[in-house]
Amino acid sequence: MQEAGAGNNVGNRTMRVLIVEDEDKMAEALRHGLEADHYSVSVAHTGEEGFYLVSTETYDLVILDWLLPGRDGIEVLTRLRQRGVSIPVLLLTAKDATEDRVRGLDAGADDYLVKPFAFPELLARTRALLRRGVAETTNRLCTADLEMDVAAHKVKRSGKDLALTAREFDLLEYLLRQQGRVVSREMLARDVWKESARYTPLDNVIDVHIARLRRKLDDHFEKKLLRTVRGVGFVLGEDGA
Amino acid sequence: MIRFHLRRVRARLTLWYVAPLAGVIVLYLAVVSGLLFWQMNRVLTHLAEEDLETIKGLLYFRADGRMDLHQEYHHHTEWRQVQERLLEVLTPDGRVLYRNERLGARTIGGSPFPGEGEHAYLERSTRMSDGTAVVLVSGRYDLQGKPVLIRVAYSEDLIWGRLRETLAILLLALPLALAAIAFIGYKMAARALDPVEKMARRAQQINSENLDERLPVDNPDDELGHLSTEFNATLARIGQSFEQLRRFTSDASHELRTPLAAIRSIGEVGLQQDGGPEEYRDTIGSMLEEVNRLTGLVDNLLTLSRADAGHITLRPSAFPLMPLVREAASLLDVLIEDKRLNVDLVEEEPVCALADRVSLRQAIVNIFHNAVKFTPAGGVISARVYREASWAVLALSDTGPGISPQHAGRVFERFYRADEARSGEKAAGLGLSIAQWAVRANKGEIGLASPPQGGCTFWIRLPAAPGPPAVRS
Repeated sequence: MQEAGAGNNVGNRTMRVLIVEDEDKMAEALRHGLEADHYSVSVAHTGEEGFYLVSTETYDLVILDWLLPGRDGIEVLTRLRQRGVSIPVLLLTAKDATEDRVRGLDAGADDYLVKPFAFPELLARTRALLRRGVAETTNRLCTADLEMDVAAHKVKRSGKDLALTAREFDLLEYLLRQQGRVVSREMLARDVWKESARYTPLDNVIDVHIARLRRKLDDHFEKKLLRTVRGVGFVLGEDGA
Repeated sequence: MIRFHLRRVRARLTLWYVAPLAGVIVLYLAVVSGLLFWQMNRVLTHLAEEDLETIKGLLYFRADGRMDLHQEYHHHTEWRQVQERLLEVLTPDGRVLYRNERLGARTIGGSPFPGEGEHAYLERSTRMSDGTAVVLVSGRYDLQGKPVLIRVAYSEDLIWGRLRETLAILLLALPLALAAIAFIGYKMAARALDPVEKMARRAQQINSENLDERLPVDNPDDELGHLSTEFNATLARIGQSFEQLRRFTSDASHELRTPLAAIRSIGEVGLQQDGGPEEYRDTIGSMLEEVNRLTGLVDNLLTLSRADAGHITLRPSAFPLMPLVREAASLLDVLIEDKRLNVDLVEEEPVCALADRVSLRQAIVNIFHNAVKFTPAGGVISARVYREASWAVLALSDTGPGISPQHAGRVFERFYRADEARSGEKAAGLGLSIAQWAVRANKGEIGLASPPQGGCTFWIRLPAAPGPPAVRS
């Protein structure tokens, strides 16, 4: 699965995303970010406008803010679901209490992202929602001269075996599945370390693991595969600096 | 408003005891009147008996066979007893032999009934033919060989008149007495409630600015003094919380400002310089790092404020404590390896804690992380798990520099850092606060011991689950 950077067109069709967000700066940032990842993006600034657009046009995904002037995101979502519209919805909100999550998901959201979030996380969730139903069970992952056999638990670079610990293996597998894309520390904490609490002090732990993985992966090779994107996270891929 | 209420309490108190008192007095008067009536009735009867004996000696048959009374016996005919006397003399078969002037044409007791007054005086209260209530005494005698029945009676009006007079005086005096009592009572109530008013006035002046003021305590042993003392203790606690909150707010704004200032400076400096893409990338990355720090800080603050408000739901269950400690250690294992620390985990005896696993794990990870952070490279961290009475205990010792006694009490405070030089640390001094919250929320205790020779032991005590520890796979 050699899939570099942005492959967000299934069957040659560009995926269409609707952003319903009242705050201009936020909406613009999301639009730019998603367009850079090759999505076709529309923006609605109120709940009514969003509802109208979803009802009249065809989208593959809606990114919906909870707090909107007039009709709020939950109301829009509830009405959409009542009408039988089954389009995937990613809910954005600053509310992160468990009850709020439950309310959001009960109203029919497919996923839930708490502000402030890392942009790579939004991209990852977007991809995950659009991929729904398409099983991804590839057991062989690779990039450049790096190969991983997930089932056999083996990693090779330039044909040479790399000895990784279990955690390093999981980390590399995750990075390989997200190859070419930036992965934030929050994503690693949640998906690799399975820590749900946002306040667990894992950043140091992750950094040390990344440093060790990098040593084993890149130290003896000219071409560096694992890069740190300062302030954002890490990326694994060929087009390194 | 307060004054009005106080007045009303006084009035109510006065009313509360004047009203029952009036009731008691009225009841008392009724009983006394009854007794008085009975007593006077006895006296009257006694008089009538005496009179009967006297009259017996004064009666005689005149030559014409009619009966008469020697009047000359009484020297003072205006004597009341004589004047009020009602006298009737009858033959045993009811024929009237004599009636005195006062009686006139009335009859006292009707026809005599068999045996009336034969062996002893017959005393009774009855009504005359015109309806007047009387006390009547009758006696049977032989007068010059003829049997006669003598009846002497006195009207009960005599008694009623006296009684009315007495009652009138008493009833007239009653309202005066009650008014006097009410007045005294009101004054006493006012005096007793005076400290309350003083307290109210003082309490009115206390606000968030002068929480160190206290209510006056006149007498610490009486009820009001007790109230004042308790109120003062409450004020002290509120004052403490206020002080903590004030410090927290100022610390929090300081902690929030630091990354904000950094973001601002980095951004401004970055804009001023004409750099290449690489330089801009670096500037933005640096700003994002500060944003991450800010985000983490806000997340922690939110967690704490939600915890304070009791909005975090705990799901207590019984689980062995040791695996949780191992989990925390393995989560941090790379940091431990990096610093070449020796970690020694000892389970002295298997013990189960009764707590919410998620929040407790957080607490243990936080104190473990703290130990890893402050133990110098090559040091030792040892964790011991054991049971102590009804507690499941975890004691975590390190070979760090230790914490001086003046800091030991404050390390759990929000944003508190034992060593100001460490303020470059990324975690903003909230980890131990969160640990403390989590342990306390689980009905446990947390504390630390730091001997002068260095090193530091954090301990957590939690309610132990009863019974033998369940085997958990």
